[in-house]
Amino acid sequence: MQRGEEAALELLYARYGGLVFTLALRIVGDPELAREVLQDTFLRCWEGSESFDPGRGRVPWWLMGIARNRAIDLLRSRPHQARLREGEQLAVGIGEPTQPDATDSFPTRHAVVSALQGLPIAQRQAIELAYYRGLTQTEIAHELDTPLGTIKSRTREAMDRLRTLLWPLIEPQQEIGRP
Amino acid sequence: MTEEHEHPIENLAAYVLGALEGPERIHVVSHVATCTTCASLLEQYRGVVGALPLGLDPVPPPAEAWAAIRAEAARRRPQSPEPARIKRLPTWRRVMWPAVAALAASLLVWNVVLQLELTRRPPGPEVEALARRPGRLVILMGTGAPAASGRLLVAIDGHHGHLATAGLRPLPAERTYQLWFVRPGAPTVTGGTFKVDSRGRAWATITVPVPLDEARVVAITEEPAPGSTAPTGSYLLEAKSWR
Repeated sequence: MQRGEEAALELLYARYGGLVFTLALRIVGDPELAREVLQDTFLRCWEGSESFDPGRGRVPWWLMGIARNRAIDLLRSRPHQARLREGEQLAVGIGEPTQPDATDSFPTRHAVVSALQGLPIAQRQAIELAYYRGLTQTEIAHELDTPLGTIKSRTREAMDRLRTLLWPLIEPQQEIGRP
Repeated sequence: MTEEHEHPIENLAAYVLGALEGPERIHVVSHVATCTTCASLLEQYRGVVGALPLGLDPVPPPAEAWAAIRAEAARRRPQSPEPARIKRLPTWRRVMWPAVAALAASLLVWNVVLQLELTRRPPGPEVEALARRPGRLVILMGTGAPAASGRLLVAIDGHHGHLATAGLRPLPAERTYQLWFVRPGAPTVTGGTFKVDSRGRAWATITVPVPLDEARVVAITEEPAPGSTAPTGSYLLEAKSWR
């Protein structure tokens, strides 16, 4: 292994590893499975099976997309469902102190949390069921016993509001080749 | 038919959250490929989705996680061809493929590193300085296509790189864009062909067939597919100097 390549992977991990693990843990609710997601995510990048397309967002968005998809796959897998059915208590949170990085600044987290908390509960619920539980609009409507059209409207209204509130974080950049 | 029905705006948010399925999902995918308005909104929604994890209380990964990833990455690369195939390959090819795989991995990682740095830096001279660090940066200006621009990022090996362009119009199947290295007193050579997406953008891996300093001009032309042996079209994008 060439030192430069390993250093690049390490750089990617140092910058985003914590965020990937945090997201995975939030979705699967199990530190061991979250660690599996973490490893899969970075190995997929390493092997090139997931190629970065600058036209579809920034590097962290790309990484989070890989991690989320893998975590949702695990969440839907039969063994994990069985564990949930058995009512096994899944440990969430490890209790280690947080190591801050560029994607983990308090003002950023505060901005996102404030934006989410500013949504009506029903809108926030629609977003969280879709993003963290991987439910489709139809499944969300069924789970909440709410008409599908209402769920679609809530989702759109929530995303529009978040888009406005989080604009400084998501504003497209004009430099070519930059996501 | 209302605009709401023409543009699947109601479904864009669900799509970007991965919560859309079936015909509605297909409709969104096909629609945003040609609708710049919806594509722009979708990109903004992607930003929202990308920001959602930033609101979680951070939990550091287990301390040993990185060591496991590093060890597994080392174990998985280079990828070996099938054993039966190895026996039929001449020795030089057996040596060549791992090298090619290593180079491809190197370029991928280099690209990611570059993107990481570009992503967190503001535009301007600092970005160009950063972009030069892994290799060299050639800025292409839209001469024949004034709205277009491009960046050619040449890897430190001098033979490979990435080309990013914006503002070029999408071409029909029988036409292609082609990158050229124009040398004084020597034949002009190509670095490859590429297409742009519906928004006129491209990100392509290219070859640099001659030392960059031997070229007088780096240019992009429109050519008949699958490409020409020498430029036949006028220069759409052009660079005459680089550092």
